[in-house]
Amino acid sequence: MHFSKFMLILAMICVVIAEAGCSSSSTSGGESSADSQGKVNLVFWSHQEDAIVGAYKNLISKYETLHPDITIEYQTFPYDVYSQKLKASFSAKKPPDIAEFFGTWVPEYSKNDLLVEIPDSENVKKAYYDAPLGGYLRDNKLYGLPLEYNIENGGMLIHPQMLKEQGLDHPPSNWTELVDYAKKLTLRESDIIKVKGFDFVSADNITFTFLSLILQQGASFMGEDGHVDFHTPEAQKAMSTLVSLVTDDKVTDLTTFGSELDTSDYFFQGKSAMTYRGPWTIAAGQNNYKVDDFEYVSVPSFTENPPVFAAESGWGLAVSKQSKQQEAALDFIKFISEKDNLTTWNTDTFTVPAKKEIAENPEFLKNNPHLKPSLDILALGQWIGPIADRDFFFKQINDNFQLMASGQQSVEDGLANIERTINDNQDQHK
Amino acid sequence: MSTAISTNKAEKVNPAVKSTAYRAKRRFIIISLVPILLLFGVFAFLPIAWSLGLSAFKYDPLSSNAIFVGAENYIRMFQDSIFLKSLWVTFKFVFIAVLINIVITLLIASAIQRVRIPWLKNGFRTVFFLPTIAPLAGTAIVWNTMFNYNDGLFNMILAKLNMAPIQWLSDPHYALYSVIMMTLWADIGYNIVLFIAGLDSIPDMYYEAATLEGAGRWHVFLHITLPLLRRTLLFVSITTVVSYFQAFPQFQIMTKGGPFNETRVLSLQIYEQAFSSSNMGYASAMATVFLMIILLVTLLQLRWGRTQWEH
Repeated sequence: MHFSKFMLILAMICVVIAEAGCSSSSTSGGESSADSQGKVNLVFWSHQEDAIVGAYKNLISKYETLHPDITIEYQTFPYDVYSQKLKASFSAKKPPDIAEFFGTWVPEYSKNDLLVEIPDSENVKKAYYDAPLGGYLRDNKLYGLPLEYNIENGGMLIHPQMLKEQGLDHPPSNWTELVDYAKKLTLRESDIIKVKGFDFVSADNITFTFLSLILQQGASFMGEDGHVDFHTPEAQKAMSTLVSLVTDDKVTDLTTFGSELDTSDYFFQGKSAMTYRGPWTIAAGQNNYKVDDFEYVSVPSFTENPPVFAAESGWGLAVSKQSKQQEAALDFIKFISEKDNLTTWNTDTFTVPAKKEIAENPEFLKNNPHLKPSLDILALGQWIGPIADRDFFFKQINDNFQLMASGQQSVEDGLANIERTINDNQDQHK
Repeated sequence: MSTAISTNKAEKVNPAVKSTAYRAKRRFIIISLVPILLLFGVFAFLPIAWSLGLSAFKYDPLSSNAIFVGAENYIRMFQDSIFLKSLWVTFKFVFIAVLINIVITLLIASAIQRVRIPWLKNGFRTVFFLPTIAPLAGTAIVWNTMFNYNDGLFNMILAKLNMAPIQWLSDPHYALYSVIMMTLWADIGYNIVLFIAGLDSIPDMYYEAATLEGAGRWHVFLHITLPLLRRTLLFVSITTVVSYFQAFPQFQIMTKGGPFNETRVLSLQIYEQAFSSSNMGYASAMATVFLMIILLVTLLQLRWGRTQWEH
């Protein structure tokens, strides 16, 4: 009898310890509160990127000075784990009050009613371009505000000196010229490319370039019922063109794809003459590599049509519905999205403004001359669409592109594979 | 013989005393086991049961609703080319890595065991064991830099030898073998130590008898060392197979399953389905199948590795 009681007590102690381990409160996520003196504490999460973290810290400091009753506990996480960290915190019902979201992630949260609607959505959304707003909209209501216009299209990094050495005194003005330039600029040692003429082989740019080449032919890549449609002559032509740049024109290769460095890193190391990448990479060149003998120029359209393109929604901010301090959290987002503050944020982070009044402000262009190619085409962007699993979508295109470019698969089979796997995945998320 | 003696002694003890002693012994065993069993229950058996249940649902952790789908996740799995590929890659990885691991570690252990100078023997043991101390994730990051196409150590060596550089991690022909190479470097220390212990425990008299009979080294190894090492071999092979089936950090850090899913092992696929794609039910179904596979392989190994040898 005594023994049974002892065992029972021991068992209970073990269970309590185990339970305590599982449920102990953490400082991460959902710890907003108002203390006895009425001071509000907000938890704010973002991903780690030096320029972005610095820009947030400046604005947090400014906000706290203006609102001495509010403290913002700012926490950052590496990009690779940030998405999972956010999901885990929301599913455990301990999310931060304010979270930085990538626009494409937002629909998953907004459809599950986990985010607070931005007040006065109808008027607020008029202030933004359509493409960056897409992910944050649901049933015409806004569930967050984009801080930037995620744009990987329309602009590329070039080394003017490399062009000059080949007798090219201006950037390419049409697609044929682009390919011609790329061939001249490619340097080889035996069969190995030492300097790539035109590099677009990055995890983002293969997909974005492929989609923009379809759109620039006046076609669409979204079919019905949330499915993609790559069984079109335009998709075939777009993919064939990209594959040819590797297989026939040989202006780039797959050697650096999947490595820990970005294509822009290789550009700033002098290993490519022209690199198709978003303007956010300019900061890396200037800050990390201390390089300034480069330019950011427009990429010509694939056709006679304007250089239309598909874009994701970019980084933005949203408030968790679990937050006990929703009003204060919304006020902070509103503060960051005010013209002056957001202008500073975009300038400090080398990002393209999602808000029209900032992008169209001549003063902004004057302070950020490198962004001109991107700013010129913002109105041509369209939201990429309701992609259920962004990483899966991009991975299918990248994987199959590699198979096509390495001759292991035909373009027809590759496109059929991409379409089938993406559509299966889209169906799984309905 | 020894069993008979102890039985006779036990028969002479008073039955009441025997019963009290037995109860005390049982109590001690139970008290000792309860905490660990509870921990196992909460952190091992409960999650397994939970995962089994979840595998019959379509469940997104962000959604409050889980839809019962019955066996749909299991049916879907066997029509999913990426799952089937990951299954194939897992078996390929385990088969190659375990085989090489056991051959290399047995050879190294045999060589170290022959060293008669104690400090030198300990020195070798330490050197081979050192890599296992480093966290696998850290080791993977370091090896990642060594596999770099442009500035990596291996391609620098190839360049010195006037050989073309290799895309160690992004060429589908090399990627899996590159990860195997790193895994072996990081992991062989454990098995070397275990094999040395197994070899040390083989009595010298067998070797002396074989020498007197004029047996050659290969004969001695094949007919004395290997059979008498069978229990160690069984333990080493089971633990290595189970641990390689569960290999995850090196794949997640070095290749993320690429290129073309050539390094997509099942643990990585389960992780991505669960945490990147939010298909918790589907990931649970995969985990269940994975559990069954490991269980089956372990049972088969236990059966095939059964030995009557005693020394």
